[in-house]
Amino acid sequence: MRRSPGVNLALAIGLAFLAIIALLPFWWVISSSIKATNEIVSTTPTMVPHSFTLEHFAKLLTSSDYPRFLLNSLAVSAASMAVTVVLAVLSGYAFFRLRFAGRDFLYRAILLAYAFPAIVVLVPLYGMMSAVRLIDNLFALVVINVTFAVPFAIWMMRAFLAAVPLEIEEAARLDGASRLTILRRIIVPLIAPGIASVGIFAFISSWTEYLFASVLIQSDANKTIPVGLAGIIGQYQVDWGLMLAGATITTLPVVVLFFFIGRYFVAGLTAGAIK
Amino acid sequence: MLRRTLLTAGAVALALFAAGAAQADPVQIRLWHMEQTPQRVARVQQLIDEFNKANPDVVVKQEPQNWGEVYAKAPAAIAAGNAPDILFAIPDFTTVIKGLGALDSVKDFTDKLDKEHHFIPATLRPYAYDGGVWAVPLYNMAISTWYRKSVFAKAGLTPPQTWSEWKHDAEVLSKAGLYGAGLPANKHLYTDQTVYAVLVNDGAAELFNDDGSLRFNNPKTVEAYSFYKDLYKSSAPDATNWTWGEAEACFDSGKCGTVLQFTVISTYNAQGGDPADLGVVAVPHADGLKESNTISYSNAAMILAKDPAKRQAAEKFISFILEPTNYGRFLNMEPGLFLPVTEDGAKAASFWNDPLAVKYKAQIETMIANSEHGMLFGFTKDKVMSSIGAISAQNVIAETLQRIVTGGASPADAVAAGQKEMEAAAK
Amino acid sequence: MPRRLQRRAARREAVFAWTLVAPVILWLGATLVYPLVSSLTLSVENVRIIGSAGRFVGLDNYLSILSASAFWLALARSVVWVVGNAAIQTVLAMVSALILEQTFPGVRVARTWIVVTWIVPTIVIVIVWRWLLSTSGGMINPLLIALGLISQPVGFFSSATSAMTSLMLINSWRWFPFIAVMLLAGLQRIPNDLYEAAAIDGASRFARFRRITLPLLQPTLFVLTVIGTLLSFNVFDIVWLLTGGGPADATTTLPILIYRTAFKGYRLSEAAAMSVVATVLLMGLALLAVRTLAPGEEDR
Repeated sequence: MRRSPGVNLALAIGLAFLAIIALLPFWWVISSSIKATNEIVSTTPTMVPHSFTLEHFAKLLTSSDYPRFLLNSLAVSAASMAVTVVLAVLSGYAFFRLRFAGRDFLYRAILLAYAFPAIVVLVPLYGMMSAVRLIDNLFALVVINVTFAVPFAIWMMRAFLAAVPLEIEEAARLDGASRLTILRRIIVPLIAPGIASVGIFAFISSWTEYLFASVLIQSDANKTIPVGLAGIIGQYQVDWGLMLAGATITTLPVVVLFFFIGRYFVAGLTAGAIK
Repeated sequence: MLRRTLLTAGAVALALFAAGAAQADPVQIRLWHMEQTPQRVARVQQLIDEFNKANPDVVVKQEPQNWGEVYAKAPAAIAAGNAPDILFAIPDFTTVIKGLGALDSVKDFTDKLDKEHHFIPATLRPYAYDGGVWAVPLYNMAISTWYRKSVFAKAGLTPPQTWSEWKHDAEVLSKAGLYGAGLPANKHLYTDQTVYAVLVNDGAAELFNDDGSLRFNNPKTVEAYSFYKDLYKSSAPDATNWTWGEAEACFDSGKCGTVLQFTVISTYNAQGGDPADLGVVAVPHADGLKESNTISYSNAAMILAKDPAKRQAAEKFISFILEPTNYGRFLNMEPGLFLPVTEDGAKAASFWNDPLAVKYKAQIETMIANSEHGMLFGFTKDKVMSSIGAISAQNVIAETLQRIVTGGASPADAVAAGQKEMEAAAK
Repeated sequence: MPRRLQRRAARREAVFAWTLVAPVILWLGATLVYPLVSSLTLSVENVRIIGSAGRFVGLDNYLSILSASAFWLALARSVVWVVGNAAIQTVLAMVSALILEQTFPGVRVARTWIVVTWIVPTIVIVIVWRWLLSTSGGMINPLLIALGLISQPVGFFSSATSAMTSLMLINSWRWFPFIAVMLLAGLQRIPNDLYEAAAIDGASRFARFRRITLPLLQPTLFVLTVIGTLLSFNVFDIVWLLTGGGPADATTTLPILIYRTAFKGYRLSEAAAMSVVATVLLMGLALLAVRTLAPGEEDR
């Protein structure tokens, strides 16, 4: 369908607007992280840096455990992603392709997980983790992250599974394949892009989690990025340079990561459009 | 024969094992403190490493925490049995921990330290009540008024000593395009502190009566809030969001004419400020009064460990810090912010030898002098009300100010509401 | 197939299905149901500081919180918060999804950078906006002054309305890309021939949107709205870190009130009661909505 020039213009304006609101703030932050402090706090902010210094980054990396936080975040997010994907694929298949008593009720109940304010979970969970000696252990964070990612992940599975024709499964059953084999050998490869999307969603959710990470982790060595960054920022002083450097260095890895795998996120979601 | 040999061998083995076990594991001490900024953590680690080396039977480990979280985290950890052995605190936080039954009196220890180092009385007072001493003072912080001498000279002003002078100065500076008085109005500890710094300078320092009832609602308090409201007109429009950092940034960038702060020295210096231009005076007092007071926070160390060996090790570590040769370096983890709590600390070379202390000697001397007139809300009497913890944590003093400044309430109404809040928190 | 064999087959299917969902059920049971029960217990005791002992006090906590205006005010603010966020986010997300569905040079890249505000941790969002909206080096005030929209720098968090509005805008800015991508996926599942047929029949773009896009997008939009509302209601980090619930309680939504009551007011049991009420309210709301969406509109 050809687009009229009017529509093209509207499209261009809309895109520009989106680019400005999504990206301009980050440009400001990243470009300011290499400015000298007096330029950062000056009364007349500058769009393009006039000064150049890497001191904020140096301070951040040398005098804090930032690399350690990065590793912890990566480990926790990767593990949370793996567990979420497994649980979502397995239960998604059951909810959307199999019949069993209580299926609908259970599915709805799981989505209601989001009705819980974090505080309801926070204190008792701390007690629970403490009882099994998981305080200050990164695994405790994986447990929490999976809990909050899985319900939505299951919902995401629905569309991916819907795109796989029933006939394929039925044909395989007639050939004598067990359900497990069908799931493993047929379904999973077909919904691979969808699985990638679910994985990315779970990874990002874990990457950004703060509240539980701050309470369940006690020592510096086990902190994740959000908590570590919050600590570095300092209580009695506001070191804008350090903060902006921290913000930059927290944004960049995940942006770079997304640059490579981002297309799979959207592609996976839309792979179901083989109608 | 065989049996006796076996028995002997067994006994020897057991003895060796026991001896080995007794010597094998050094005592582990976990330290929680809230000085999370990287350079403070590094300095603390330096001292810890020295201590650990000199005391091979003890291993101290630091776990820096966040002030915003620790009020929840520490009680949770205590309840779950993974409390730290040493926990730094400010006075109201101590009442919370004491309320959990997690503290034993350290009076014997502080008496000993007092003999050696002579605590400044104002720093020990907030921790001595109910027949015991509940934490060991380690470092002090007090608020002063900061200004730039050149800016004042240019505007023809003298550093303010009374409220009317302060108001006048702020107005003149505001006309010159600055925020004459960079005062915060956030529901935050910093605003509690600045408001209280004004309250203590109007004879409204007492929150409680002798019988424990609240006397927040009194004419002097209302007067002080009125004054703050007036002065706040010269502050920045986003000051309802200010914490310590924003006020300091405002001062450093030259936008704020005066600020109330514990210190601006290190950031001022880092941005190339001239030591000769940095002026500091006591917080101005109401016109009728003769002297200035200020708010001061005596920071201390609580010993939570119950095991005698651990307590002993903890005491050893704290004593190590208070030694004049080490104490200065401890205080200067943030030069110009942390002030000594002991008399010999105030004279220690390790304190005054730090490069920043050398550069800003005059300012630091003024800060120490100001701190001697310091007090803290809820800790001005010999009896401490345990409700101060909740009152502090909920920033009622700051909230009362917000009611006036953003809510449009009259000072009298706001203070009355504040009193009700405090009474509710005290229940 | 004979009935007996059919029943056996069905049972085997059910058993297999249960084995697949069992891990999830156990996991969520331990991490959600147990805490809910625990909170219920806590709410009928009088525990003050976390870790201290409490004794049974029946429904006292519920009575006291429900009769205090603080709870209802916070609830009202939460409603405002949820509605405001939903409105802003849906509009932004819909517009973005519609734009990103088109083909034009750079659309693939656009679909990737659009999510940048979603993939960074909240603390970064807080740092970014605290700085941008401040008067110490922040870009927004000078920008607005340069555009002639204001004459003096303003404090975005200084008044009740501006604080709430600023927070809603920031939170929406943070979340809309995620919803946009989900909507985009939904849009792309709508077959092109439907649009083409309508175009041949002379339907305008707007009519195509109204008659084809919206109805077919409705299920996705619906679930996203329900889940989005629940998540929105429970947002804590951004509000707490930017305004702490102020100024003068103007942004104290229910999660903020609950957190404050528990950890600053040292009234854990009261906070537990509040959170139980909140959970029940939310679940009720969600159930009401979800009931109209049957997962059985499905393939088998």
